Amino acid sequence: MTPMFLLMAAGSLAVPAVALWALRWAVGHGEFQMPERAALLPFDEAEPVGEATDIILNQRTSKR
Amino acid sequence: MNYGPLLFLGILFTLASSWVGLVLMPNRQLGGLTPDTSTNAAGVVVVYPQARPGEAQQGAEIYRSLGCVYCHSQQVRPEGFGSDIERGWGKRRTVSRDYIYDKPVMLGTSRTGPDLTNIGERQPSVEWHLSHLYNPQITSKGSVMPPYPFLFEVRPVGARGPSADALKLSGEHAAPAGFEVVPTAAAKQLVAYLRSLKTSSPLPEAPLPRKGESDDAKSSATATNTPASK
Amino acid sequence: MSAPSKTLSALMPGDVPAGDGRRALLAEIDASCRVPVLFFVVSGLAWLLLGTLLALVASIKLHHPGFLASWEFLTFGRVRPAHLNTVIYGWASQTGIGVTLWLMCRLCRVPFVAPGLATVAAVFWNLGLTVGTAGILAGDSTSIEWLEMPRYATPILFVSYAMIAVWSVITFRLRTERHLYVSQWYLLAALLWFPWLYATAQIMLVMEPVRGTVQAAVNWWFAHNVLGLWFTPIGLGAIYYFIPKVIGRPIHSYYLSVLGFWSLALFYNWNGLHHLIGGPLPAWMITVSIVASVMMLVPVTVVAINHHFTMWGHFSKLWHSPTLRFVVLGAVCYTLTSLQGIANSLRSYSEVVHFTHHTIAHAHLGVYGFFTMVMFGSLYYVLPRITCREWPCLGLVSVHFWACTLGLFLYVVPLSVGGFLQGLAMNDASVPFLKVVEGTLPWLKLRTCAGLLLGLGHLAFVANVAWMLARVFGPYRKPVVALLTGQETPVVVGK
Repeated sequence: MTPMFLLMAAGSLAVPAVALWALRWAVGHGEFQMPERAALLPFDEAEPVGEATDIILNQRTSKR
Repeated sequence: MNYGPLLFLGILFTLASSWVGLVLMPNRQLGGLTPDTSTNAAGVVVVYPQARPGEAQQGAEIYRSLGCVYCHSQQVRPEGFGSDIERGWGKRRTVSRDYIYDKPVMLGTSRTGPDLTNIGERQPSVEWHLSHLYNPQITSKGSVMPPYPFLFEVRPVGARGPSADALKLSGEHAAPAGFEVVPTAAAKQLVAYLRSLKTSSPLPEAPLPRKGESDDAKSSATATNTPASK
Repeated sequence: MSAPSKTLSALMPGDVPAGDGRRALLAEIDASCRVPVLFFVVSGLAWLLLGTLLALVASIKLHHPGFLASWEFLTFGRVRPAHLNTVIYGWASQTGIGVTLWLMCRLCRVPFVAPGLATVAAVFWNLGLTVGTAGILAGDSTSIEWLEMPRYATPILFVSYAMIAVWSVITFRLRTERHLYVSQWYLLAALLWFPWLYATAQIMLVMEPVRGTVQAAVNWWFAHNVLGLWFTPIGLGAIYYFIPKVIGRPIHSYYLSVLGFWSLALFYNWNGLHHLIGGPLPAWMITVSIVASVMMLVPVTVVAINHHFTMWGHFSKLWHSPTLRFVVLGAVCYTLTSLQGIANSLRSYSEVVHFTHHTIAHAHLGVYGFFTMVMFGSLYYVLPRITCREWPCLGLVSVHFWACTLGLFLYVVPLSVGGFLQGLAMNDASVPFLKVVEGTLPWLKLRTCAGLLLGLGHLAFVANVAWMLARVFGPYRKPVVALLTGQETPVVVGK
């Protein structure tokens, strides 16, 4: 039981430690800076923001 | 979040947590369960559960192959949680140790039909089971269980008269004149399996209810219906 | 709306104005996906039709037990798992993989790497499925829910899956866009989670079964995670791409999508054992799953806010875009099915609805209402772009949408109610069991009607796809039509 207990104690310390380290790393490397820019990734010059695609149904009614 | 390896690590760590918690830990806790040995009131040593005898084990394979599990559960929920015990589906809740010999474990998730945990005790009659499998309407009118005609052979009655295990059918379900309905080996195995389903032995972690309580449960069960149709 | 020529050129490999690198790349990527993605999607549709047929047979059997009863291979206990496996592994997984491959290429901004590898993977996947489904009908089902395919079929599936995993790692490494969009996290996560789940379940349940109820724990850890860590991330990844793409507006909040992803990753994989409430397993295992299920409120709320706020003010586009219709319907169903799932996981609620048809309705709201609808929507976007063909018949699009939407409603709502009533009756020991059965019959008949409607929708969609493919591969190759305007444009086909 003792090795199991040690393992669990070490694990419960290690997991938050790794998580904290990863968070620090991410902040340090600018992972959280300007994340809104990442929201623009599906768009490009060919199909920029503001341009709807796949508008194929009920064309006639909408044009009138 | 642009750094691939960090994403990979996160993806792996999250699943690893439940893999340890819900796969390894249950295996650690329950994977080594052994049968319980106890001495009953008459001084006889009882070992429970026991592996099934051959024919019943073959029947378990039929049960698996025909997918009975999709309509019939094999688990009794504790008293006060659902009506499993009041309906007479079992005398006590089932626990992990009841299932140590089951491969696969067929707990089931649907009760389109009744629970079968204790069907061997509730309905011991071979004749009943065979008629029920041949056509459930014979024994349980209004049931939505499919008939299993392919588990039976309809054949001409031999010169020596009807064979011993021919089903005793009457009325609309009777075989045409000069013919008899005889169960195949698979049907007999399946019935042997169903009759082997019994969880009435107590376990330390799941004792039978005390005398008075069990009488109550029994009387409410018989008052409402016969066990077979429940 | 922009000039038609612009979008058209993005779609046309070989007819792209010089000097427009971005547009040329989009078109090249789409064209490079054609063979492997079409292979996955078309075989997925074939399995969808077979799965629908099996579903109808199973559904009719539940109110007319004598229907097709004399054939052993068509008994309910075989048709039902055959239905589940064909729609889950044949339709949903294959189409999910097809859409994933296309999204990965587009978001990584690399043309399809090694299309031969992915096509061979698709061939193997279908081979494994054919063997597996035949095995179930022949009586070799394992009777382990969601893992019924016999042990001689699953290694073939695993070989196929390994090829897809290799492909996705290569594509990811070759990406020219270093930044990762939220869809890519979901897709990558799904691609990594699935083999782990499947391998664990196969080894511990089918190859070397563990003892007793540990099997049940592993079974539900697996089965719930197929939904939560395979279909859900693929579906959400697709929603996160298609809603912004169709309406031309970035997602509402990128912060929220980060939170949504990691909370899903943390909580969803602990949910599975709520399927065993009241069952013969230690209370802690079930309780921990209930807690995790309730914690799912976090990712579900976050994702709902993000999706529905992105749509805000753009609902009129639902009228014009089939992709948006299906995807938004899927997103709404995701919210609903998640909330229903959280309720189902509570002990007091589960006491009533566990073991009833309520669970079946819930499963269909998730796999059909959410995932299948999102996949239909995705295909409406992907197929014209990889084939460079318009949808041949817009009337069929409407038939598809309305038949499936109505069918879904008719399936889920009555069966949820009927299942709940069934549970109430079952928990009242004074109601004989056969009375409980009798009470479910009207709801089950309604379910068959719903199934017919869904089948009609599927036929309409398959007809449209077949018509489109006839224009690509058949003798009557039609000129391409601009996607945005419906105006015919002379284009050289068959380069």
